[in-house]
Amino acid sequence: MNVAAFVVLAAMLTAYVMLDGYDLGVGAVHLWFSKTERGRAASFAAIKPFWNGNEVFLIAAGAALFALFPKVYAAAFSGFYLPFIIVLWLLMIRGMSIELRGYFTSDIWNGFWDVAFWLSSALLVLFFGVALGNIVRGVPLDTQGYFAGTFTFLLNGYALSVGALALTALSMNGATFLWMRLDPDLRPRAQTLMRALWPVVLLLFIGVTVETIAAHPIGAHVGLWIAPAVALAALIAVYASKRAGGALAASSAFLAALMASAAQTIFPFLLPAFRGGGLDIYNAAPNAYSVGTALTVTIIGVGAALCYGTIAAYRMMRA
Amino acid sequence: MCSARLGITVVKMQSALIADRIQFAFTIMFHYLFPIATMGLAPFVAYFTVKGIRNNDQTALRTAQFFGKIFALNFAAGVVTGIPMEFQFGTNWAGFSARAGSVVGQTLSMESVFAFFLESVFLGVFLYGRNRVTPGFYAACAVLIWIGSWLSGFFIVATNAWMQHPVGYVVTKSGTIELRNIGAVLLSSFAWWQYVHVLDGALLTGAFILAGIGAYYLLDRRHVDFAQGIVRAGVTVGIIASVIAIFPTGDRDSSDVTHFQPAKLAAMEGEFRSERGAPLAILGMPDTQHGVLIDPLYVPDLLSFLAYGNFRANVNGLSSYPSADRPPVDLTYYAYHIMVGLGSLFLAAMLAATVLLRRGRLFESRWMLWILMLAMPFPYIANEAGWTVAEVGRQPWIVYGLMRTSQGTSPTVVAGETIFTAIGFAGMYFLLGVVFLFLTLREIGHGPEQ
Repeated sequence: MNVAAFVVLAAMLTAYVMLDGYDLGVGAVHLWFSKTERGRAASFAAIKPFWNGNEVFLIAAGAALFALFPKVYAAAFSGFYLPFIIVLWLLMIRGMSIELRGYFTSDIWNGFWDVAFWLSSALLVLFFGVALGNIVRGVPLDTQGYFAGTFTFLLNGYALSVGALALTALSMNGATFLWMRLDPDLRPRAQTLMRALWPVVLLLFIGVTVETIAAHPIGAHVGLWIAPAVALAALIAVYASKRAGGALAASSAFLAALMASAAQTIFPFLLPAFRGGGLDIYNAAPNAYSVGTALTVTIIGVGAALCYGTIAAYRMMRA
Repeated sequence: MCSARLGITVVKMQSALIADRIQFAFTIMFHYLFPIATMGLAPFVAYFTVKGIRNNDQTALRTAQFFGKIFALNFAAGVVTGIPMEFQFGTNWAGFSARAGSVVGQTLSMESVFAFFLESVFLGVFLYGRNRVTPGFYAACAVLIWIGSWLSGFFIVATNAWMQHPVGYVVTKSGTIELRNIGAVLLSSFAWWQYVHVLDGALLTGAFILAGIGAYYLLDRRHVDFAQGIVRAGVTVGIIASVIAIFPTGDRDSSDVTHFQPAKLAAMEGEFRSERGAPLAILGMPDTQHGVLIDPLYVPDLLSFLAYGNFRANVNGLSSYPSADRPPVDLTYYAYHIMVGLGSLFLAAMLAATVLLRRGRLFESRWMLWILMLAMPFPYIANEAGWTVAEVGRQPWIVYGLMRTSQGTSPTVVAGETIFTAIGFAGMYFLLGVVFLFLTLREIGHGPEQ
């Protein structure tokens, strides 16, 4: 059951990356994508009805972590105090920029929120990437599982390269989303942007994968090659796809495969220590009844949300 | 040497505790301004949407659109300020989260998967899909948003109620408090009475918002049809909600406090010493040094009667509890008296408005419209004051009787870090508050679409 809890948590974070991934990606590229008011307004309009629902996956994943593994929640959030609070501030600025842009037809007002949206989106993606890189690499923990290192420890080459991969991969994803959703005359620019980002993503992906496998040898476990292989195939499909919908599906699959690779690398740990050990799905879990309850609630709630969310999105996009 | 060092540690922990409490109190009180309005307005938006679509009633649809916009502004501000609330349990209250997360994590997790998804998905459709979906689906969205916002409130109150009156848990050998019965947590009568009271406070606020905005348009002689409709709706709901706030919900909450948190009751009432036939203090300022009320206005024996149904019953004063177990008196006492005083005034105002409405004279009674317009901010104050009673009066416990607030902070986070982030939140929220007020007043200035 604790394994199931791990899988559900990983799935929720993956859903977050796939869904909020396109609106974060739009934020990361929209300044470069279009210099005209029409293009920028269209970028905002494309994500406005959906971003909040997407972001709920982050909140829900955080809350599920709280209920399933309270010790990890406590140790991780307080251990990385300042980075977490900065993430909160960036989420707030980003939310404000999406809601407030377009309230007036003023270049000053809109220009301010354009930059705020870009900066907060890009920094969030970078932060998330660096955080994921550090978790995969392991961080110094004390006996209670609280972070015992320094801020500079977190800025290591591996984590930064994961951050760069996250930023470029989500930018590519955002460009692909714009290619699919915008008016036909704006699409070629989005497609060009996606194709310009693609080689950088490929290089970073190969680099990070090689580094990860070097640190966590896969060896004879053939099954563990599946996720990286799927990621590579999906990335190639992004470039090869002639249709925007296919490219976005491939890009989403690429992100999901990256998350699966990260999850299988740290399993069964949730917060691995730098030199082995750490908080895992057994030593950080409360009693079985508690884990079972949280798991049931999460599966029912998220399952229902996926159903009605899909129905609502379908009815919205059909028009 | 050793004791001096110990002294420094104690001071350090104390200052971290104070910084954590100030940051949480500030961020939660600011955040709560918005859920009050969303929980209070959601039923009105749903009602006018359904009415408008079913009867093809254009005024009702315009009303729904107008309050839908006000709702959306509050919802956005609520989301933006709400995310830090959940995460602060981890960042600043790691001791509490690690020890009690098995219980409080459940209800918070239920809020996000059952309520947040519902609200955000259907609000997206409601705001941006007016012309993209069928009218029936559109009306269903308004109702689902209402359900979502009230569900969200339930899970938050259930979390808080568990901290006030823990049930359905087991304490393990290592000292963690773990879930044993989720049904007991969700069906606790303490939680349900608290929930109905909180919800009613929000509904009363919503009613005053409708009545107040309508009164403003009537005084300004604009949008008259629209304004009369919302004043009527606001007063009709407001009179019911202001009664329910006092009886049965306020009464039941007091009785729960009397039974489960008697030290809080003593602080609320400014009852320093135990006595038979305890009087009820209507006014007075607590002097905590001498343990008396200054310039009190008492009703003899009434506190004994209200608490125990017997005019001669003994009420335990604060002095009967160890000083380490007493809540802060001043804040609890004032917050309680502000809430009760305002609640009584709301009832009086809504009663007068209802009488005038029944006689068909409300829309011409400019003095009453003035009162309704100026009353708008006060339900917010009453709601915040009520939560102040609940939370400050709960001290020194974070989980009543089980875990002290001082044990709940994060071992790795020092006061200086929290002070820095609290300053950051203050700056961010100032900006947000200015923008929010500006946009809301602008919507009210524009009025409904013609």
